[in-house]
Amino acid sequence: MDGVAHQLALGFLELLSPANAASLAVGLVVGMLVAVLPGLTLVMGVVLALPFTYGMGVTPAIVLLTAMYLSGTYGGAFTSILFRIPGEPLDVPLLWDGYPMARKGKPAQALGWTLVAALWGGIITAVSAVVLAVPFAKFALRFDAPEYFAVVAFGLSGVVALGGASMSKALVSLCIGLLLATVGVDDTYGAERFTFGVPILKDGVEYLTVMVGAYGLGEVLARMEQGFASPPMEGSGRIATRLPRWAEIWRLRATVARSSLVGLLCGIVPGAGATVGSFIAYGTEAQYGKKRDKLGTGIPEGILAPQVASTATVGGHMVPLLALGIPGSGATAVILGAFLLHGVQPGPQIFQTEARMVYTIFASMFASVVGMCLLGYFAIRPLVRVLALPEAVTSAFVALFCFVGAYSARNSTTDLWMIVIFGVVGYLFERHRFPVAPMVLGCILGPVAETSFMTSMIAYQNDWTVFFRRPISGVVMVLTILALAFPAFRALRQRARAKERVGTDAPSA
Amino acid sequence: MAAASPAWSQDHYPSRPIETIVPWGPGGGADQLARLTAKLIEPMLKTSFPVVNVPGATGATGMTKLLSGDADGYSMAIYIADTNALLAGPSPRWKLSDLQPVAVMMQVPSFLFVAENSPIKDWAQFEKEARAKPNTLKVATLGFGSVDDMTLTYLASKGIKVVEVPYAKPSERYVSVIGGHVDALYEQAGDVRQFINSKQIRPIIIFGKERLAAFKDIPSSYELGYHIALPQFRSYVVKAGTPPDRVKMLSDAMAKVAAEPEFKAFLDENFAAKGSFLPADKAEVYFKEQLADMKTAQEAAGTKKP
Repeated sequence: MDGVAHQLALGFLELLSPANAASLAVGLVVGMLVAVLPGLTLVMGVVLALPFTYGMGVTPAIVLLTAMYLSGTYGGAFTSILFRIPGEPLDVPLLWDGYPMARKGKPAQALGWTLVAALWGGIITAVSAVVLAVPFAKFALRFDAPEYFAVVAFGLSGVVALGGASMSKALVSLCIGLLLATVGVDDTYGAERFTFGVPILKDGVEYLTVMVGAYGLGEVLARMEQGFASPPMEGSGRIATRLPRWAEIWRLRATVARSSLVGLLCGIVPGAGATVGSFIAYGTEAQYGKKRDKLGTGIPEGILAPQVASTATVGGHMVPLLALGIPGSGATAVILGAFLLHGVQPGPQIFQTEARMVYTIFASMFASVVGMCLLGYFAIRPLVRVLALPEAVTSAFVALFCFVGAYSARNSTTDLWMIVIFGVVGYLFERHRFPVAPMVLGCILGPVAETSFMTSMIAYQNDWTVFFRRPISGVVMVLTILALAFPAFRALRQRARAKERVGTDAPSA
Repeated sequence: MAAASPAWSQDHYPSRPIETIVPWGPGGGADQLARLTAKLIEPMLKTSFPVVNVPGATGATGMTKLLSGDADGYSMAIYIADTNALLAGPSPRWKLSDLQPVAVMMQVPSFLFVAENSPIKDWAQFEKEARAKPNTLKVATLGFGSVDDMTLTYLASKGIKVVEVPYAKPSERYVSVIGGHVDALYEQAGDVRQFINSKQIRPIIIFGKERLAAFKDIPSSYELGYHIALPQFRSYVVKAGTPPDRVKMLSDAMAKVAAEPEFKAFLDENFAAKGSFLPADKAEVYFKEQLADMKTAQEAAGTKKP
């Protein structure tokens, strides 16, 4: 342990070199900008930065990319909370509570909570990466297709939390999302599904268009219907960042602990990642949180859980990357590419052969977390001021952002039509009190669930019991079933209790 | 003056940036090639070469984008073996004659790998087990319809029957072999060099006409009597009908790129064949040969899979 502390201290010293410090700062700022723009995803941002690292030393190169990656999991929080545009898929759960809180006139508080969440998630992830890297890396190797399926199924079971009042409406919405995800050429056998002979549909429905359309554009349409009548937030410009008090945070320690664990585990598992982690953390909160009934109305639990988890996945991802050379996500795949370009081979031996560099990277994770939170702290004030503008003006910009985002993902004009369609769908959903969230969840997680299901079936002779026979997937599947059965069970019990009360109350009345 | 300027730009190709469509996601092999080539070719042709990622449908989405543009030499695409393999499948969206090859930049042979601690010692043992107990050994691949699939289908026609498990995501594919969930992995060596160098996996066979210097103890498919070698190639194409002088200019510049030390180092890192580069005219023949080989492999395997 002393050795680790000593190494880490050396790492911090190394980080003070001008090259390292400069790439850290640049990485943080660029990462945050990339995350704010929907369509320009985190992975894309890291890829665009890669050529600039060719000429650098290996340590500054990795420090730059890691800093981008970390702050990229945080930057999208701003647009999600203020404008209901998720900058990244991982920001979707964040807006379920973040946006209502902002609309209640507390945007600065909502952003304050994300800052705390990102700070905590980042610190816990950096600590775990340092302490757990070697023992935990082997854990990743126990995952195969059945485990990936189980984890995603657990993520999908979070739908019970997203329905609001009506469970049946939530399930309908989820199924629509899952169906949308099957459009196009199937991943396993290449069969065309629901394409109706139209070439446009062959490429499938990009989840980004559903996500940005149903949320961002749908919201603009809803406001247009009301003639942009809601008054601009008076005095929001005066509010500086409102950080939650220590006592408030302490009250939510259970939430923080749960989501940190979810985030770390989802990071270590190659098939999961920040998006799945963010959804599962929100779902877990909806199952076990004390205030689960109020979730979705704009409470801090709903902001903390997904943000803590998505930032916490970063360290989780770095573990199998460094210790085994396995990139668990698109961003870590690029970081691996940077290692290889510089002739460094990640793998079990790297902790001996390149200890200096490894611990500098770890040190840079700590520094990045602090840096991005400082950046966030000062960005909140000018950003919140935007809300003081007339609603019609902000809505125009939101629409513009949505279209730019949808186009830049695949450079396809088809996606512009898609986003209009899903904008209308999202608007109609809201109007008829149909939850949008399950549809978006289905679109994002559906393809992952399907592919891992098919792969499991092929690899294990079409034996469905494989999901329950393997230890890890078995445990997760049981949790999934419990998560789905629990609300039904609770409803039954409440009904029974209500009957009982009627029975006992009646005579006294 | 204003009327004269278009004529001037006609004469001076390239007078504006030339985009490279990468029909795959960022960070992959095709993307790395495009970005390195762009960096090296820019000073030669004195224009920029922006890279556009248009992933989807095994490269078909990107090809559609290329073919919907003008044949003016301002739009190129990366064309790889897996995309070429689509032409051997049912109802391809384009024909080989719709494309004008510019240059083949990389030819990378594929291998079967096993985990370092696998009980399977070498190819002889793998073959023996697969013949003794058909359809029990599992091999991780990119997916059905891919070059990986064709190679395994060919082997099955020779009595070596294995279960092919498709993993679309590279990370899952690699965990499957290192974690012992499958018995072997079909892959190009360059994509898994970190696992080879850190002694987590080892090759047992190379699919090619001869052995590779880096793995001189590993037998090649041809010497074992299996006439199958479908290397992963990565090339540049433009839309058919592009003026020949522009194609030649691009192809000549690519030849210079291929001779750069930085590019040679890139080939070595990826365990690509030394003589990978083929200019425009030879590339055209090469595509046709590869396609014929794939069709032969499929015919040898009998009826095609659904």
